[in-house]
Amino acid sequence: MQFKKEVEIRAPREQVWNFIWDVDRFIACVPGCKEAKTIEAGKKYAATMVEKVGPFKVEFPTSIEVLERDELNHIKAQASGADNKIGSRMKIDLDVHLRDQNGNTVVGFVANVDILGKLAALGHGIIKRKADQVLDEFAQAVKQRLEGNS
Amino acid sequence: MLRRFRLEEPETIAEASELLSRFGESAKVYAGGTELLLAMKEGLVQYERLINIKKLQNLREAKADDGMISIGALCTHHELETSPVLRHKLPALHRLEQNVANVRVRQAGTLGGNLCFAEPHADPGTLLTALGATMVAEKASGRREISAEDFFVDAYETSLQGDELLTEIRIAAPEEHFRSAYLKFGYLERPSVGVAVAFKLNGGGLTDVKIAVGCAGPSPRRVREAEALLNGKSKEEAQRSLAQAGQVAGRASQAISDLHGSQDYKEHIVGVLLKRAFQSAAG
Repeated sequence: MQFKKEVEIRAPREQVWNFIWDVDRFIACVPGCKEAKTIEAGKKYAATMVEKVGPFKVEFPTSIEVLERDELNHIKAQASGADNKIGSRMKIDLDVHLRDQNGNTVVGFVANVDILGKLAALGHGIIKRKADQVLDEFAQAVKQRLEGNS
Repeated sequence: MLRRFRLEEPETIAEASELLSRFGESAKVYAGGTELLLAMKEGLVQYERLINIKKLQNLREAKADDGMISIGALCTHHELETSPVLRHKLPALHRLEQNVANVRVRQAGTLGGNLCFAEPHADPGTLLTALGATMVAEKASGRREISAEDFFVDAYETSLQGDELLTEIRIAAPEEHFRSAYLKFGYLERPSVGVAVAFKLNGGGLTDVKIAVGCAGPSPRRVREAEALLNGKSKEEAQRSLAQAGQVAGRASQAISDLHGSQDYKEHIVGVLLKRAFQSAAG
């Protein structure tokens, strides 16, 4: 499942870049994320993602790896985790692009999300909608955090 | 495999509500179990306690009095498909119940359970929304009524509070010129799209039009914008507006592309079913 989002932030590109690069703070903007921490600065991070659809709750201990970094322009990262209780795995490939627009910074997210295992029994449509909501809230949380700080 | 759980068997609504309140998310109400036990066997949800409400009294009857039709939340689909009250007073709901899932589900599954589990592909919520039904929610400290329209919040989510039980579904007994129909379509086990219409039709035309769409998106939705295109019109005028109303209802269905069909496909089917449901109801 691929998702694309763009959010315009009233902050200069450098400030946005610095925030995104502060990876554990950046990851903490994902709704349902708890215990984000740095394993190896600039490369590896860990977090626990908790998501809920009605009575169905998943908890993914997740490892996040930064794969590419192009200063002020682009970050490519991969997150993967497994919920052994429910027997499900998830993998997210995330591309984050920055560009200038009218003195503001536009952050573009492209996320490729794969959910495997029993959780898939909920149905592709429901999971897709949930993932879309999560990405939306994530983009808005990043915007709020940055504009609140500017 | 089903994990061990403790079975609580309260004898009153207040007791059941107190158990829900005390054990919070580690407990779940259990009625027919046709959805819940499957999800538990799959390991998708785990509860330490199930609160069996089947012993609660007076929640297993469909009756008509005082201009209202009252359906106890513990009525099984089979009891409703064979209910004389439904057959005479609400033939659309009666027909819907005859076609819920399969015979095994209809024997064990309850209407209340179906509504509370809020599985997106369930049938009854859509028709009950178009019928303007009211859900009665009770807990130890009181009761309240929730319109069907407000009952469904999202996929698998209702507006019931953690300690509330759905005890009754109330529908105003249809007046003389009242018409309604529910149609569904799908090629998998569960329907891809369900559409319900209800209206009054007499010499003056259509009034009180209600249209609801379900299964295509996360939860049943009433589509007021489509209703407005038909309300107040003669039958013939309304028929000419059906294509537009169908498009509006399709867009409002929040259809999701999945194994049941693409978003475009489902939106199209909403339009087709709306037309057919209208013809079926209007005669």
